[in-house]
Amino acid sequence: MQHTREILTFQFGTYANYVGAHFWNQQEANFVYDNDSNVPEEQLPHNDVLYREGLNDQKQTTYTPRLLSVDLLGTLRHLPIVGELYGNFLQLANEQNADEVQKAKDSAEQNQLSTPGGLDVRMQPPVELSEYQQDLLKGAVNIESKDYNLAQNCSSWADYLYARYHPRTLNVLQGMQRQTDVQVLGTQVAGVELWQSSSFNEDFCDRIRLYAEECDGLQGFQLLFDIDDGFSGLATKCLEHLNDEYSRASYVLPLHYPRNISYAQADPRTAHSIRVVNSVLSYYHLTEQATMFTPLSTLETIWRNTTLQSRRMTGLHWQPDNLYQSSAVLAAYLDTVTLGYRLRQTPETLLRFCERVSPAGRKMTAAGLSLPLGMEQEQDLIDFLDGADNGSLLSQLTPGCEPGNSHVVQSVVARGIPYSRLKRPVDQAGPQLRMSAYKCESVSQMLQLYYQCAYHGSVTHAASTPLPLNTKLPFPYELFDTRIAADGFKLQSEAEREQDKRVGCAPALAAVQNSSKLGTHLDTLHGQTHRVQLAKLQSYTQSGFEQDEYDTALDKLLEFRDNYEDSQYL
Amino acid sequence: MASISLLNPKAEFARAAQALAINISAAKGLQDVMRTNLGPKGTVKMLVSGAGDIKITKDGNVLLHDMQIQHPTASMIARASTAQDDSTGDGTTTTVMLIGELLKQADIYLSEGLHPRIMAEGFEKARDKALEVLDKVKVPVDINKKNLMEIANTSLKTKVHPQLADLLTEVCVDAVLTISNDKKQPIDLHMVELMEMQHKTDTDTQLVRGLVMDHGARHPDMPKRLENAYILTANVSLEYEKAEVNSGFFYKTATEREAFVRAEREFIDQRVKKVIELKRAVCDGTDKTFVLINQKGIDPISLDALAKEGILALRRAKRRNMERLALACGGTAMNSFDDLQEENLGYAGSVYEHVLGENKYTFVEDCKNPLSVTILIKGPNKHTITQIKDAIRDGLRAINNTIGDKALVPGAGAFEVRAYNELVQYKETVKGKARLAVQAFADALLVIPKTLAVNSGYDAQDTIVKLTVEDRLSPELVGLDLSTGEPMKPTDLGVYDNYIVKKQILNSCSIIASNLLLVDEVMRAGMTSLKG
Repeated sequence: MQHTREILTFQFGTYANYVGAHFWNQQEANFVYDNDSNVPEEQLPHNDVLYREGLNDQKQTTYTPRLLSVDLLGTLRHLPIVGELYGNFLQLANEQNADEVQKAKDSAEQNQLSTPGGLDVRMQPPVELSEYQQDLLKGAVNIESKDYNLAQNCSSWADYLYARYHPRTLNVLQGMQRQTDVQVLGTQVAGVELWQSSSFNEDFCDRIRLYAEECDGLQGFQLLFDIDDGFSGLATKCLEHLNDEYSRASYVLPLHYPRNISYAQADPRTAHSIRVVNSVLSYYHLTEQATMFTPLSTLETIWRNTTLQSRRMTGLHWQPDNLYQSSAVLAAYLDTVTLGYRLRQTPETLLRFCERVSPAGRKMTAAGLSLPLGMEQEQDLIDFLDGADNGSLLSQLTPGCEPGNSHVVQSVVARGIPYSRLKRPVDQAGPQLRMSAYKCESVSQMLQLYYQCAYHGSVTHAASTPLPLNTKLPFPYELFDTRIAADGFKLQSEAEREQDKRVGCAPALAAVQNSSKLGTHLDTLHGQTHRVQLAKLQSYTQSGFEQDEYDTALDKLLEFRDNYEDSQYL
Repeated sequence: MASISLLNPKAEFARAAQALAINISAAKGLQDVMRTNLGPKGTVKMLVSGAGDIKITKDGNVLLHDMQIQHPTASMIARASTAQDDSTGDGTTTTVMLIGELLKQADIYLSEGLHPRIMAEGFEKARDKALEVLDKVKVPVDINKKNLMEIANTSLKTKVHPQLADLLTEVCVDAVLTISNDKKQPIDLHMVELMEMQHKTDTDTQLVRGLVMDHGARHPDMPKRLENAYILTANVSLEYEKAEVNSGFFYKTATEREAFVRAEREFIDQRVKKVIELKRAVCDGTDKTFVLINQKGIDPISLDALAKEGILALRRAKRRNMERLALACGGTAMNSFDDLQEENLGYAGSVYEHVLGENKYTFVEDCKNPLSVTILIKGPNKHTITQIKDAIRDGLRAINNTIGDKALVPGAGAFEVRAYNELVQYKETVKGKARLAVQAFADALLVIPKTLAVNSGYDAQDTIVKLTVEDRLSPELVGLDLSTGEPMKPTDLGVYDNYIVKKQILNSCSIIASNLLLVDEVMRAGMTSLKG
């Protein structure tokens, strides 16, 4: 008997929610109601894996992500904590909000919550909706020509969220208001403490349980979290809980902010130390708890990247420290690579997906993305791959490591390349006939062959779908440079896209890779720890954190690094 | 909003008199916000957030949590009030009121040159005296339904409409009495489950002598209603999942892999079979039925097998419900099915399912001797339910406190008036300037009856004069009748407060107030703020 293999997603922290918002927007942009697109149905992602069907109190069917998100107070902006689909909040956006308040007041009195006339209403000023949300509410979003300038205007992920969440989804940390200058929940231990507090723990674990109870074949968890701040503590404790209670596969993505965040009572030097300690402790837990984890950042290196050197991709330009834009890049990666276990035609379990690329305890993997793919219009994949330099296809999204191109274990997913663009039919093939790749019958096969030749002594698993990445609003379409056409392929020669045309979709290639070279990532982290004096970190010492614990974490980290020692071993 | 803005001065640091002024203004500010909430006639606040979230409450603690308190002094007071809530579950508004008033009264003398240290010493003396008075006036009570009803009712009336309070009182007292079962050991309030149900029309709160769970059967063929049921509670996985990380099995051929999978599956099937065998053994030939409640998962194949036998199976039960189930129905929670016996099973008269939108509820009722019960809260929307839930929680705490104290204190401001009179007399025996502080403490206590009077629409001074005079004449305590504005005897009307609540208030308020008085410098320092 076949049933859905559900996955439950977690988002801990503000940046994780930025990435998550893009990710879910992407999912909904790809929903197909009547299949008139040219992508056959069996090559679409299986949405039930991540989504659940529900019924709200107006008897309307809802379809919402199976998601739990935790963030600071104030990040939700206009979003009611219960989501917008199930009622239980006041519509303040429209003009008649005075009526709504009055109605709520009356019903409260009717239900004998107070003596008549004894109800005192205290209203905070309604949060101004972002222009995009206003238009969304009116159903008048203009994705073709209106410029919402989200990169500058959005102050939180809620401002560009198109997806709608279930009431169970959103959690905010009471009493922790988001501040622009400092991270309120600073240290890993603070997060751990928060997880253990009964006010958070009971409710949150109950929500996990309710999601799990609904699932017939829960296969695992996707977990995104901010590793630079206290949310790392929450996430690692949560992972521990998940393993205790559910023992399923978990794919964990620690995210680094694309900027240096500061903490309360910390100068830049201590702030750096706090970041390092947070990472060390998180890695220590992840090596024990996660099935696989892939650190993500748009920065080239982290820990002491004072100039904030950012990764670059040809054809794509983003402002390095912009949360909205950089999170979109990470979300594009996440969406593409997770297709590896979400496609309908190739049902692959999350566990298998993780274990394939993390042999011999090498649980940490690296991310590579190519967006846009760089194929020219009218060019065939076979020619494109033929022209590509070895290993230059992908840009790394895991900071401070290059998996190299020999002895790599990897899993790649290509999207947006239709079958017709694979190669020419025999009668027009010409020089293509001479290439050995001409016998390949699918995109994934050809990629497999390409990597077999290009990467020495490597194991590659490839999957593909003709479904491209949807880059319409609220995705930052402005990232693409003018050499990219509206369909995401590169324009030929020096041609440029027309000014008012936007890129609507793009082909992409994403990979999760593993090789012995990843050890350098761990080495850099360990190198940074020499400068850290834990006793001087007030925020750590005040919460009663013990030096021993830290030392254990460091030892374990070194032990873990040993897994990456042997360069010949796959 | 003016009062809140008082809490938010921009000053980076302040010294001596100025520091004191900051502390006092913050305390007063908080007091202003909370003042209108005190007592049964206090207003209820409906908080609407910028995003449209609604919260309706009268509970001082909930309000304090909801206001974004940035001011250090105010957050210190708020913390004292939270501590009050944690330890007793009541008196949070009173705490804030009293701290504010203590500082206000102290301010009068301090501005005339009295040293804060002397003030603090005086407060300490006054507090000791007040505690003495408290011990004198407390009324020992028997633990019976009537007494518990009175205390619960007083507490609940300060939270919700009197009519609703009456209903909740009954529910709370019954709940506690059922689980206490005349045993001498302390009561675990966790054994009262609060379950909420959002329902448009049906709005009443009831006590279920059994358990209500927020999930139901996940198989269409399972029975929706069972009578006379055996309950098997378990913590055993009934799903096939190659779960353990790194336990991958190794195989050479596809058939070998199939064989492995089948072997794994077999393992789970064996467990299901054991349950079915037991069911057949105890139920066949009788009118008994069988329910399985599992803390771990049950996959569709296992569900199917169980459904064929007419077994109602629930998966992923709450951890705490396993404990509750054992207390409500009897039997023991099983961690393995290896040695299943009939005596491991619990019993319930009826088990049925209730579907509401996308939510399912399972009722386990008519248990023989339930030591765990559920209070089912129904309301038309979330904020209503939340408010009722908070009220119930406080009601339960009040009852539990009474059982712990075995004593009550007459309410309606009676204790404060008596303490005031006693302190005024006591003042004469205190030497030196400290007596001024005793006077200040006495005056501060009167804020409670005053506010009660004001909130009910009576004149504060008028009331205080009447009450203090009456109290001096009568050996019994005299409180304020909120419906007439006249003095009355709280013992006659059954208005009581918890002894421990009052004690805690006196203790924590005088300490916090003294601490705040002794502060002579307030600074806001942190590396980020110093560097700008």
